[in-house]
Parts: sequence; C-alpha cells; structure tokens
Amino acid sequence: MNPRGQRRVRLNAVALSVFWGITAIGAFLLLAKSTQNSGEFARLQWWIVVLNACAALVLTVLVARKLWRLVRDYRAHVPGSRLTARTVGIFGALVIAPLLIVYLSSLEFLNRGIDSWFTVEVKQGLNDAVVLSRAALDLRMREYSQRTQALARELAAGPPAAVQARLDGERRAGDALEIALFGARGRIVAASLENPLEALPAQPPQDLVRQIAQRLPYVSLEPQAGGRYLIRTAAPLDGSSASHDPRFVVAIYPVPAQLAALSEAVQGTYSQYGNLAAMREPLKYSFSLTLTLVLLLAMLAAIYGAIFSAQRLVRPVQDLIEGTRAVGKGDFATRLRLPSRDEMGFLVHSFNDMTKRLRRARAEAQSSQEAVERERERLAIILARLSTGVLAIDRHMTVRIANQAAGAILGTELAAATGRPLPELAAGNERLGQFVGALAVRFAAGREEWREQLDLDGTAGRRTLMCACTPLPGEDRDMGFVIVFDDITALLAAQRDAAWGEVARRLAHEIKNPLTPIQLSAERLRRRLLAGMSAQDAEILERGTRTIVQQVETMQQMVNAFSEYARAPEMQVTRFSLNQLVTEVADLYRSHSPRTRIRLELDPRLEGIEADRGRVRQILNNLVTNALEALEGVPQPALEIATALDSSGESEYASVTVCDNGPGFQRELLGRVFDPYVTSKPKGTGLGLAIVKKIVEEHGGRIDADNRPEGGARVRVVLPVTDSTRTAGARERRDQLRRERA
Amino acid sequence: MLRGDPARDGLIGRGLLTTLCVLTLGAGAGRAHADALDGVLEVRSAYVNIDHGVFLLHARVEYPQGPAIRKALRDGITLDFDLEVRIERERRLWFNANIVELTLHRQLSYHAVSDRYVVRDVRSGDQDTFATLDEALETLGKVDGWPILVEPQLDGGNYTISVRAGVRRGELPASLRALMFWTDDWARQSEWYTWSLPV
Repeated sequence: MNPRGQRRVRLNAVALSVFWGITAIGAFLLLAKSTQNSGEFARLQWWIVVLNACAALVLTVLVARKLWRLVRDYRAHVPGSRLTARTVGIFGALVIAPLLIVYLSSLEFLNRGIDSWFTVEVKQGLNDAVVLSRAALDLRMREYSQRTQALARELAAGPPAAVQARLDGERRAGDALEIALFGARGRIVAASLENPLEALPAQPPQDLVRQIAQRLPYVSLEPQAGGRYLIRTAAPLDGSSASHDPRFVVAIYPVPAQLAALSEAVQGTYSQYGNLAAMREPLKYSFSLTLTLVLLLAMLAAIYGAIFSAQRLVRPVQDLIEGTRAVGKGDFATRLRLPSRDEMGFLVHSFNDMTKRLRRARAEAQSSQEAVERERERLAIILARLSTGVLAIDRHMTVRIANQAAGAILGTELAAATGRPLPELAAGNERLGQFVGALAVRFAAGREEWREQLDLDGTAGRRTLMCACTPLPGEDRDMGFVIVFDDITALLAAQRDAAWGEVARRLAHEIKNPLTPIQLSAERLRRRLLAGMSAQDAEILERGTRTIVQQVETMQQMVNAFSEYARAPEMQVTRFSLNQLVTEVADLYRSHSPRTRIRLELDPRLEGIEADRGRVRQILNNLVTNALEALEGVPQPALEIATALDSSGESEYASVTVCDNGPGFQRELLGRVFDPYVTSKPKGTGLGLAIVKKIVEEHGGRIDADNRPEGGARVRVVLPVTDSTRTAGARERRDQLRRERA
Repeated sequence: MLRGDPARDGLIGRGLLTTLCVLTLGAGAGRAHADALDGVLEVRSAYVNIDHGVFLLHARVEYPQGPAIRKALRDGITLDFDLEVRIERERRLWFNANIVELTLHRQLSYHAVSDRYVVRDVRSGDQDTFATLDEALETLGKVDGWPILVEPQLDGGNYTISVRAGVRRGELPASLRALMFWTDDWARQSEWYTWSLPV
C-alpha cells in the first residue's frame, strides 16, 4: 500500500475511534441521566435510541463493507485474501462461540429468574387476602345495609315531622357520618350530618341512583384518599313494595381505622404485585432483545476486529507477494515498508536487500551488455568500412555475418542475407556460385583453414580473389568459419600494367637506340659496295639492305608505339564538350569507313567535362579504330557511340559507351583485353585498348569491357566531369593500389 | 481452490441468513405483543371559556376500552391518563413561543377489596370511585373548567392551543422503565387537537 493509502487508513481508524468514543460516552451519560426519573427517560430515550442505532448502523456498514471486500478479493484470488479469510474465520469462531454460550445461558437465567418472581402461590395468596378483607368488610356492609333498610321502613311508616329526629337518632346510634333522605329527582328532603359545617350531604353516585330506581337496596364500599374507607348504603322508603314513593335514604358509615388500614395494606400489595406481574413478559422480552442486540453488536465488533487484525497481520505478506511479483516482472526498484522489528520485519528487510542486490547485478549486466553492444557496433562499422570482404558462415554454409564489401565483391547483397544459406543465394549469380563451389570443395576435403587465390569467371570478366578461411574459435564445432577475401583483380592488373610499362620503356630505350646505326650501316654498305658488285650480287645486296631498312622502320614503329604506351605526358586539362568531340570523331570515321553505320546517342545534359581534350580524342580514336577493325568482314557493320551523365553521390561522371555488332571479345581473353599484346586481330599491336585504359586511369576514370547479349563487343569508359573529382578519384585509386600492394 | 467452493459459499450464505433472521426476529418481536391499548384514543372536542380573566378548558376525550384494559386493571396495574395542553404564541419568522405547557395527570386503578374503579388526581390527591370501568372512563373523558391560563399571560398576537391525551402504564420504577424501553406497548398518545385561542 502506498503512503497516501496508509495515511488514509490511519485517518479513518482515528475518525472511527473518535466516533465510537463519543457515541459510547454520550449513550452512557444519557442512560445514566434517564434512569434517575421516568420523565427524563421519556424525553431522552429516543436520543439513546438514535445514538445506539447510529453506532450499530455504522458498525454494520463497516463490517458489511469489510466482508464484501474480503469475499471479492477471495474470489478474485487477490494475494493474501485466503489467509485473511482463514484468520477471520478462526478469530470469529474463537470470539463468537463464547459469546453465543454466554448469550444463551444468560437468556435462560433471565427467563427463569423473572418467572420465579411471579409464582402462582404468591398470586393466590394475594387473592385470598383480598377475599378475606372483603369478607371482613362485607359483614359491616351487610349490617349497615340492614340498618339503613330498617330506617327506611320506619321513615316510610312514620309521620314526616319525625323524619329529622329519626335521622339524627339513627346517625348517632349507628356512628354514621351522614344520613340523608332524598326525594324525587334527588331532591334532599332531610339530612343529618356529623359535621354541622357541611351544608349539604354528598350527592348519591349514579350506580346508587340506578339501583334505587329499581327499588333495590344499595351498599358499596368506597375507598377514600389517605387510606380511609366509607360504606355507603341506601334503601327505598317503600321497601320491596311496588308503590310509587320516590324517596330513599342514604347513609354513609366509616370503616374502623384498623380494619381500613389492613384492607388498604392488602390492596396496596395487590396493586403493586399486579403492576409488577404485568411487566413479566415485557421484562423478559426486553432483556432478551437487549441481550440479543448486545450479542449482535459484540459479534459485529468481533468480526470487524478480526478482519482488521487479520488484514493488519496479512498486509506485510501481501506486500511481499506483490513485491515478489514485481521482481518477477523485472521491477527491481520495489522496496517494501518495514512493518515492525519482528520476524516479518526481518523478512521484509531481507526482501529489500535482495531487490537491492538484484538491481545492482542487473545494472552491471546491463552495463556489460551495453559495452558488448558498443563493441559490436564498432566492429560492424569497421567491417562495413573494410574493402576486404568478410563472411562468417556455419558448417551448413548459412550466412551469419557478412559486410558490404563481401557482397560487392561477390556481386550480391550479403549484408541483409543473414540466416540464409549461401547456395540459395548463389542461384542466378555465376560468380557467387563459383565461390560457393570452391568453398564446398575445400570443406568436403576437410580443409578448415586455408589461404588461396580463387579465380571467378563471369560475364563481366574474371575476378581474382585472395581468400583466407579460418574456423571460428569456440567450444561448439558448429560455430562455423570466417572467410576473408580481397578482390585483387585490379591489383594484378596494375602489376601487369606496371610491368608492361617497364617493358615498353626498356624496349624503347634498349631497342630504339641500335636501330638507327643498323639502318645507317645497311644504307652505307649498299652505297659503298653496290657500285663494285656484279649485277647479281648487287641485286642480292640491294634486296638485303632494303629488307634491313624496312624491318628497322617496322621495328621503329613498334618501338614508337611502346614509347607512346610508356609515355606519361603532362595533362593539359581544359573544359570542352564531350558530345561535340564524339561528333567530330564520328564524322571523321564516317568519311573513312562509309560502309559502317555509325550511330550516336548523346546525352544533352552532358554540357562539358574537364579533361585533356587530345588524350580523350585518342581514347575515342582507339576505341572506334578497334571497333572498325573488328567489324571487317561483318555484312552490315554498325557502330554505336553513346554518352551519358551519371551521378554517384555528389560527384558526376560522363560515360562513353562504344558498341559494335562484330564477333565480340573472346571469352578467354575477356579478363585481359586491356593488357598489352592481348588481341585477337592478326594485324593489331595489342596496345590500343591498353593505351585507352592507361589514359582513362590517368583521368581518374574507369573502363570495362564485355560482350552484349545480342552480340558484339561493348566498351564503357567513365570519366569524372570535373577535375576535382578526377584528382580525388585518382587519389583514391592510388590509395587503393597502395593498400593492395601492402 | 477455494473459489467457487459450494460448501464454503453455502457456509457464508447460511451465516448471513442466520444474521438476517436474528435481526428480523428482533424487529418483529416488538410487534409480537398485542397492543393492549387498541381502540380509539382521541380528543373529540375541546374549547376554552374565560371566566373572570381565567381561561377554563373543557374537553371531551375518548379513551380506549376493552377486555385487555379491564383485565389488566383487575390484575392490579395502574394506568396514567394524561391530558396535555400547550399554548403557543405564533411567530412569523421563528418557531412559535411556548406560553403554557400543562399536564392534567390522573390515575385509574381497580380497587380489589372494594371491587370499584378508582380515579385519582395525582396533583391534588382527590379521588373518585366508580362501580364500572365505563363510568370511570367516562369521568376521565370529561374535563370541565380546568384553569389553564390567565389573561395577563397574554400580550397580544395570535395564540394556538393544543390538547393531547395519553395513556400509559403507571407506577413503574424508573430502573424498570429503562428496561421496558423496547416493548412498552402500554403507552399511547392521541394526535394534537389544535385551535386558535379566542383572545
């Protein structure tokens, strides 16, 4: 749980505690105050109810919420929920079982105790006491009733004038409080009162009037305030006869004090018992309900406490589970809060220590991996910049690593072919196919480490590779091989060029010098000896010296050609139109060879190049001458000269392609057509294309020759458009030559 | 796996059901007792008249009567019959001001020795006895000339007078009354009978 969540839980707990404290104290104070008198109770009882109801409601809601969350977590398999549920179950059972036992025994005890207060014997005893009191009082009542009836008879029989005297006499004789004679509609006829201050006798009660109306005697016992009793008797004056005298006499007698006190005591006890007995069932019910509610509250509190305690106990375990999962997902930054200094705290501390070590180890591993990655990138850059082809393959000749130079040398894209077998890549690529075949032959022979020169023939000519194979180090024998190879074709050609240059220079130097003395000596011999010789000898001499002079001239021409090849005059770079130059040369040869159809295809974008105009003209002359010589004997000779502007990066190049429909280059000579003395023509010196190549390379360009698929030879010359590009290209070429030689 | 365990779910369900049953029984138990004071309890009519500056209240109240009350009285319990009167001065922007609040407190009991019903005025101690319960209740239901107010207590404005009758079990110790908190079905009050005081 995050710190904010923990703070919220603490605040909730404090708020709940405060609420519970206030509620409990308030309810207790109200209860204490209300029990002091019933009036207060009536006023305060609903406040007590409201307070307790609020507390119970809050507790119920809290417990329900906790239980609902617990069930939800349990079903969702939230870590720690099972342990929490089990702990809650155990705690709840431990608390609820004793509570239920106490509750049931208390309920039983209360019911039996309350029942014992109101036994049948007590009730019967009280009833008997009441009956006894009534019996004692009934005796008096009958006596007074008979006296009253006798008085009524006397009054009915006697003269009206003697009524008052008779009433007074009777009152005194019977110790009555008052005796009165009532007439029709309750009219007082005469009365005798013990207390002369009282003006009138008491009004007869309704039940008395009703009974007298039925001409029946009346007697009643009337309890008075202060524990006194009065016996009120009444009788109609005509007794039981059915005459129409409405008069009746009413007498009130006091009950003796002792008898009244005893009767009042019996009545008081009877009433008190009745009040208490009426409370028996309500009391039992109230006690039961109160106990049940207390039980419920206690159970709710116990469950809440059990959940709270269980969650408090389980929280570190939950944190550990979540932390472990986080670590499992790679989050080593997880740090758990130390719950306490007990065993759980030690466990959490160990976990934190473990994550700290893991985090450090991962950082070190990551650092190492980054270093390896940097090295790998560096190596990749080095490999990419290498002009040497590097190819790593496994034992099944599947490409594992290849740099760009390897692809360029072998004429296919190998850098992106990682994971593909070489034989598959070699399909359709003659040069790569020969390379793969050479590797397969050596691997089949069990040769794992070798260094050899491989010659690969293709449509573009022969390429010579210096190839070295080494098995990759490692315990696994399937690690494969690394093959490093260089295209030394240009190097070999340069070496040949240099050798031929040296030969030409030496020929020019060593052969040309003796030729002149030979020619002069032959001419002198002819001049000195011819005059003195016979005609036959003269003819022999003439023919011999002429042959010597002719051969010497031929040799001089040949030496001049070699001299021209070996010559390296200073470049006279000017800017001129290549298209115009091509047009001039074509026009020249059209007039010389009208049979041949010379077609031009000039790129209008090619406005001008910076080069030595004379030497470029020589290139064109040599190429056209070479083509025209090859076209001799061809039925419809055709020659095509095309120019184009090519862009390579920021540099621009002008290309001149000369094609013919002649027999083409012989396949075996294709790789050496630019070498001196390599020619298929009977009359050629074999230096034309060699000189062309030399001039092209002096301009920083390149030249290649091949045969067109439709037949005929094709020579393509590429020259830099600007002099800066030429010098840069020449510099690069010189550097490359230096590296190859190294 | 505990998820979806029918036995465990059933146990939880039974526990919840038991709790609900206990709560329902507890709430229903209050209604399990028959209401001993069933019947009409209302102020039928009431009015005041002024006699020499004294406001006298006259009221007719119908109290519930029935075999349960008769039996309870004969078993010895005492019933309190209270008649409350309240006079308020109306205020426009605030609660009404309470001018007078009086209670006529009387008790009805059965006197077993004399077999009569006793109606006692608690304040004065005066008591009357009646041979029948009907007579006693009739007497209790008639209040005539109860002085409730004198004119000097009024200082203008509109006044309302409200009368309410109540019956409850009397002679109950306070401690037991606290325990009777939940189930005292021997206590009822009528609605207020309210009218304007004729000033």
